[in-house]
Amino acid sequence: MIAEEETLAELMRLAQGGDRQAYTALLTESQRWLERFFNRRCAPGNRDDLVQEVLIAVHNKRATYDPARPYLPWLAAIARYRWVDHLRTVYRKAEQDLTDGDIPAGSEEGAMLARLSLDRMLAQLPEPQARVIAWVKIEGLSIREAAARSGQSESAVKVSIHRGLKRLSALPEKAE
Amino acid sequence: MDRSTQTLIEEMADDLQPVRALRFRTGLLWLLAAVGLTVLGIALLPGLWEGLWQGQASALFLTTNGLLLILGCAAVSSVLRMATPRVGNRHDGPRWASLMVAVLPVAAVLSLVGHEHPLGEIADPHGLQCFGAAMLASLLSAAVLFYWLRRGAPVAPRTAGLHLGIAATALGSAAYGLACPMDGPVHLGLWHVAPVLAGALLGRYLLPPLLRW
Repeated sequence: MIAEEETLAELMRLAQGGDRQAYTALLTESQRWLERFFNRRCAPGNRDDLVQEVLIAVHNKRATYDPARPYLPWLAAIARYRWVDHLRTVYRKAEQDLTDGDIPAGSEEGAMLARLSLDRMLAQLPEPQARVIAWVKIEGLSIREAAARSGQSESAVKVSIHRGLKRLSALPEKAE
Repeated sequence: MDRSTQTLIEEMADDLQPVRALRFRTGLLWLLAAVGLTVLGIALLPGLWEGLWQGQASALFLTTNGLLLILGCAAVSSVLRMATPRVGNRHDGPRWASLMVAVLPVAAVLSLVGHEHPLGEIADPHGLQCFGAAMLASLLSAAVLFYWLRRGAPVAPRTAGLHLGIAATALGSAAYGLACPMDGPVHLGLWHVAPVLAGALLGRYLLPPLLRW
């Protein structure tokens, strides 16, 4: 993982200098990393759109990467920011059941991914807020279904989601 | 690999141009230039208070302006780092520095307890003038920090706006403090700190939509 991190950081440094080959390799690796990062954290049909949005953000904001620092925490901060945006805007019924992710359990990469992961953000929320956000914004339940499942009123579910998303938007850089 | 993503990657690679990485040091130099120009403007217009270098400044005067300066530095550091995001960045400095500065107005109000005419102390005729001048003195720093954040990629726009407002007004108030000879606890604690509260509110509620990307 450390070797991969160093390689990605070096590729990004080269990309900032205009090296297209390095940039292609960097974006391809970033795409794979993002697919694992977003796995099970957005409605299944939306993952590729979200990955593309982050890649475009990486392209537009590549000057904000500090070459003296690791690459993945920078990429993760952008990915978290776009994810919160996505939760705000996307509102759709899940088209299929969620499947197990392909995060390699127990590996160093898995540990790094977990440290930067979106679960760390959701864990910062009060449990009821995190739960209804996951149901409605990730699994695709309707407000009515989430209300029935949680035993809350529909308006209480809406308030929970609103407050939870507001709180999430302040967390993209927080690691723990 | 998803075909459309592969196409996107190819297009972005074709579009690639060299960029200069955003550096903390460069942002700091810009900000120092803005503060320097602000102090120069204050020296030329109202003029710096002569008592400063004649040993007439009270301890409270120096403490208030020193705390405002430290708060400004903490918030500037946070804003500049927010332009280059990363998971693991911490932005707690301005919170603690704000709490330290908040002691000043609390002390000012407490010092009025038991006074015969407490409102007379608060209705300081020079207070509004200091408030307005400090807000004006914040504009250049605010513009530089805003420009820096717009170039950057702040991932928590509300916090970024809040810290920008605090940074600019704390530095603006400290800068204008060099021209104000009044050193009473009520004047300093209320009217020299009020711009920071105003800046925090403006930054927190007006700026986030402008900082989203």
